Amino acid sequence: MTPQGTTGETTTDWSLLARIGQRDEEALSALYDRYSGLVFSEAKRILRDTGAAEEILQDLFYQIWRTSERFDPAKGSLAGWLLVAARNRAISKLRRRSGISEGLDENGVTLSVDVELHAAQNLLLDKVKAVMGSLPENQREALECAYFEGMSHTEIAKKTGQPLGTVKTRIRSAMEALKKVLS
Amino acid sequence: MEELELFALGALSEDEAAALQAHVSRCEECATKLAQARGSAALLAFAAEQGRPAGTVKAELMARIRANREAERRYAWPSKIEAPDGGGSTTKPDTKRNWWNWVLVPAAVALALVSFALSWQNRRIAAELQKEQKAAESMIRDRQQVEKMVGVLASADTVTVKLAGTGDEGTASGLVKFNAKAGIVMYAADLPALPADKSYQMWLVPAGGTPISAGLLGPGGHAWGNMWTGEVPANTQAKAFAVTIEPVGGMAQPTGPKVLLGAT
Repeated sequence: MTPQGTTGETTTDWSLLARIGQRDEEALSALYDRYSGLVFSEAKRILRDTGAAEEILQDLFYQIWRTSERFDPAKGSLAGWLLVAARNRAISKLRRRSGISEGLDENGVTLSVDVELHAAQNLLLDKVKAVMGSLPENQREALECAYFEGMSHTEIAKKTGQPLGTVKTRIRSAMEALKKVLS
Repeated sequence: MEELELFALGALSEDEAAALQAHVSRCEECATKLAQARGSAALLAFAAEQGRPAGTVKAELMARIRANREAERRYAWPSKIEAPDGGGSTTKPDTKRNWWNWVLVPAAVALALVSFALSWQNRRIAAELQKEQKAAESMIRDRQQVEKMVGVLASADTVTVKLAGTGDEGTASGLVKFNAKAGIVMYAADLPALPADKSYQMWLVPAGGTPISAGLLGPGGHAWGNMWTGEVPANTQAKAFAVTIEPVGGMAQPTGPKVLLGAT
């Protein structure tokens, strides 16, 4: 569904969130349409399971519906929260960890780019895809193990058979390349 | 710090992460860099192959939300969240958390019922208390009367006057204890029963003036053991005492036949 009228793409995330706080279902629907693809895709990439990814997707948006008042625009972007929260829940399921205390801090995540518009999202997707494709295999593998599999550098070193220092360097280098493109 | 990127990705060990977090909490520069690193890390989600969830996911989500709204319908707070940019948002009519209907009204009704019950009980207790007080006052008066009688009987100023039967009651007899100072006349008599419309009445016959009523003995017969008490003006000098038969309720002056008489 394409957002229309007062729930169109010109409506900011926080505007939608404010209306969700007043029990506006259309606002939640619009927010869902805006980010469901990204959230689902990330969760599915981690879990390799469509049903589990859909479950995380639905739970996250239901959480937004129930606790919209807890989101503070001064503390980060809603999109940043969604992406990190989806990642944490998926990693938690993947590694069968209890709770999400071992995941990333979901609060105060500020994205370096605006992703509220579909066009911006599409552009970013192309950029990130291009960056990841341009990375040396070992850097991309290390980065993906860290982000999509929730592995620590020690676990990555063990998996790849590489020294810990090497793994750290590869991860840092990959992140630097990503930041350079995004900036 | 070199470890910030790894920290942002969650790739540090627990100990390393804790140490870095402690440092970041004290270092503004590192905190800023960490925030940037976290923002960049979050964008790695865009590296995932993109797909779309099934349409049923949204339908189920909205159904879940509607079910939640129905449940909240009586309890939802009116929200006053405003978007920072004020962009295009309008508010729908607020539904109020209707505590009044579901919590306070029943509580208020229950409180009113309890208050009424307590009030009724209080009135009942007050009435019983009043009754008890009256009984106590009566007992006090009786005790005071007895004390007065005992006082009269024991007083040196009290004189005893024997009464003898007269006329048709020649065998009747009586006894008077009289204390002029207190104005108390106590008497006992042995007289036959009278018809219901008649009473025996005791008279103090003063040294001068008309007889003074000292009380009634009632229509029944009076065997020894009953002591009656009457009051007359204090310091009245009595010449004699007499008992006459009068209409029930007594008379202001003797009208009936004299049955007992005794001189002081």
